Amino acid sequence: MSEFCLEISAANKSFPGVKALDKASFRLRKGSIHALLGENGAGKSTLIKIITGVHRQDSGTLFINGKEETLNNPNDATKFGISVVHQERNLIRRFSVGENLMLNNLPKTVLGLIDYDEIAIQSKKWLEIMDLDIDPNTVVSELTVAKMQLCEIAKALSLKAKILLLDEPTSSLSPKEAENLFSLLRKIVRDEGVSIVFVSHKLEEVFNICDDVTVLRDGQNACTSENIKNLDRKKLVRLMIGRDEQIVKSTRKTDKIKDTVLALNKVKTELGHENINLELARSEIMGLYGLVGAGRTELVKCLIGLEKIIEGDVIINGKKTAIDSPKSALEKFKIGYISEDRKKEGLILIHNVLDNTSITVWSQIKKAAGLVTDGMIANKVDPYIRKLEVKTPSNYQIISNLSGGNQQKISVAKWLAAGTDILIIDEPTVGIDIKTKAYLHELILNLADNGTSIILISSDMPEMISLADRIVVMKDFKVNGIVENDRDYDVVSSKIMEFIHS
Amino acid sequence: MNMTVAAIFKKDWLGLLIVVLVSGLVIAAVKPAFLSPFNLYVLMVSTSYMLIIALAQMIIIAIGQMNLSVGAIGGLVAISFSGLMEVHQISVPVAVLSGLVIGIACGFLNGYITVKSGISAFIITLATLYIFKGINLGITEAEPFYNIPENVKNFGNAKIGNTPIPFLLIIPIIITILMWVFINRTETGRHMLAYGNSVQSAELMGISSSKVVITAHIISGFLAAIAGMLVVCRLQLGTPNIGDSWLLPSFAAPVIGGAILAGGKVDVIATALGVLIVAIISQALVIFKIDPFFVQIFLGVMILLAVFVNRYREYKQEVRRKIFSSE
Repeated sequence: MSEFCLEISAANKSFPGVKALDKASFRLRKGSIHALLGENGAGKSTLIKIITGVHRQDSGTLFINGKEETLNNPNDATKFGISVVHQERNLIRRFSVGENLMLNNLPKTVLGLIDYDEIAIQSKKWLEIMDLDIDPNTVVSELTVAKMQLCEIAKALSLKAKILLLDEPTSSLSPKEAENLFSLLRKIVRDEGVSIVFVSHKLEEVFNICDDVTVLRDGQNACTSENIKNLDRKKLVRLMIGRDEQIVKSTRKTDKIKDTVLALNKVKTELGHENINLELARSEIMGLYGLVGAGRTELVKCLIGLEKIIEGDVIINGKKTAIDSPKSALEKFKIGYISEDRKKEGLILIHNVLDNTSITVWSQIKKAAGLVTDGMIANKVDPYIRKLEVKTPSNYQIISNLSGGNQQKISVAKWLAAGTDILIIDEPTVGIDIKTKAYLHELILNLADNGTSIILISSDMPEMISLADRIVVMKDFKVNGIVENDRDYDVVSSKIMEFIHS
Repeated sequence: MNMTVAAIFKKDWLGLLIVVLVSGLVIAAVKPAFLSPFNLYVLMVSTSYMLIIALAQMIIIAIGQMNLSVGAIGGLVAISFSGLMEVHQISVPVAVLSGLVIGIACGFLNGYITVKSGISAFIITLATLYIFKGINLGITEAEPFYNIPENVKNFGNAKIGNTPIPFLLIIPIIITILMWVFINRTETGRHMLAYGNSVQSAELMGISSSKVVITAHIISGFLAAIAGMLVVCRLQLGTPNIGDSWLLPSFAAPVIGGAILAGGKVDVIATALGVLIVAIISQALVIFKIDPFFVQIFLGVMILLAVFVNRYREYKQEVRRKIFSSE
């Protein structure tokens, strides 16, 4: 038997116009957790699709337990015990947890009908392995996102998975939930003999949990199955982007920050915020930091009129105002909101680049008869699409065909085109590669330097500290404290943590 | 599965059952004629084939699609069934069998084209609606078949013993039970609901979408065929316009029963109660001698009410989930 349960050597894969993989290799040691890293477009997804039988390599070989095998479709992969837990939740929400776990192989009574008691008994076993103390009859839609994910892993285990691929498993988990996930992953590696391929953009996690690392860059191996002990963060970043990580140097001219443009005074909201007092000055970047569920996104949604403010004052440019809808937030007060959930709330995926970018400016540019032509739109928004270096074959490309990073650029471009005075940016770099991330950071700083006031919501501490001028720490729908950011990472981060845990 | 009292209270059909009982009792209290044997008989006859029509649509709603051609299939089967018996002197059992085969073939066609083209079933069944109806008119030249065999007519008129229960009702009741078992207790049925909930998830779990979609359309065609033939028994003739008015009521009952048109949520018992409610309302308005246009208005209000109730339930569930998540 081979030391490796999965091995890919010199795989090539081309799509029309792109060489997605160029002699890529990968070796998964039995009982290890193996990080697969690379920027968006580096070839990770293609490699995963080859491992799961969705695509076939043009050339190169695939070994499972030392034997050369061919995977023609996802079912072949399942037969070899290869299972993916996808980024998107893939459970049937209206079905019970037990039925979801057993759906491929529902136990039946002698009459050939489904035996729900047996489902509960059999699924309980897999739930226990994942330390999930939930009744198998619970309907999935009642679970938290974190528990849904654990159920998905339980489902994979129930399918006798020996090789588990996790694609950005922590992107919607709180730090505590992520820590819980990691300890369970270590447990199933130890007790169930599972090997794991772990895809993530968060390097901290990789160092926390992984044994080996493979980095892809432009479809080639930047490193192949390297032991994590031989690497540090700096080396890893260099492998991923081919140069050192750019630390955004603070060239902020704080003298520009003056004149309060927005103030919240003893605000209480329908969603449960209490006594919120905040002030935002022109050119300022105000960070909202907190754990998942602290009420940050909810607060800005109340501010732009999506939810109701029930007490207290909102003062814009010195005048008491009431914003009743995102439309009036944009048109009357020039406040824009870039959503954290770009796929659901930020973009219209089946529309093209031009339509998505121009959606915020239609009302500004329409002529007397209320008509808008493509030409007028292109004149208005094309400069922004270019400025952000959006990689798209044309302005008529459908958004869902672009990569995640480019989609995020479009949702930013849309608000740049709108010319807002106050821009609320919610988790701008989740799931975005390091290069685009650095680019977006520079952009945010530029915007602020040019007079836009920014409210930045981020759960990424380094991002927060490199961008924000002041950091408002929220917890349980209240403001717990405000930290003046002098960009000394250690000092500021420990102050933030104090407020979070106070 | 243990059916506790709490679990029963969560069921969609409980509220509808209360509506049926209360409205029945109120109407009977005001107009005792409502419970007269004749009136009950009429009520059950109209329920009988509407039940099957509603289930024919419900199974397609379960997978998140629509079948606009239910009426056209029913009509085509109805005239084929009566035409085979009248013109070609074919025996009743063979005619029934032929009717079922035609219904299944129509359903298969709907499902097959939907799967192979990847175009929405709404469009495909809109097209086949016209095709089936066209064949119907071509065969009949818009003339009804009058010479239905006596035994078929008798079946359409028969009652069980001395009760007001029509013989016609037996078939829909059996079918309702079978459909309940199918949706709730068979693998294919569960796979259909899973597919209706999320096509992508279902496919990732290894559920074959073509099998699910084609099976659902075959069942729909099969049920539409039975309904078509029951109407022939009831009317005692095969007219080419059978099925013309089925489409909207076929959606009304499942929707009143809490079905979600996006798919993945249907309830057989609630759909049956939905049919019953529509029948009771129509019947009550006749008894109270209210203008027939009120039937339509009532139906519209019922549908709105049902949708609002469902929305409220989902909202409450969402709130509960949020409380859970913030723990």
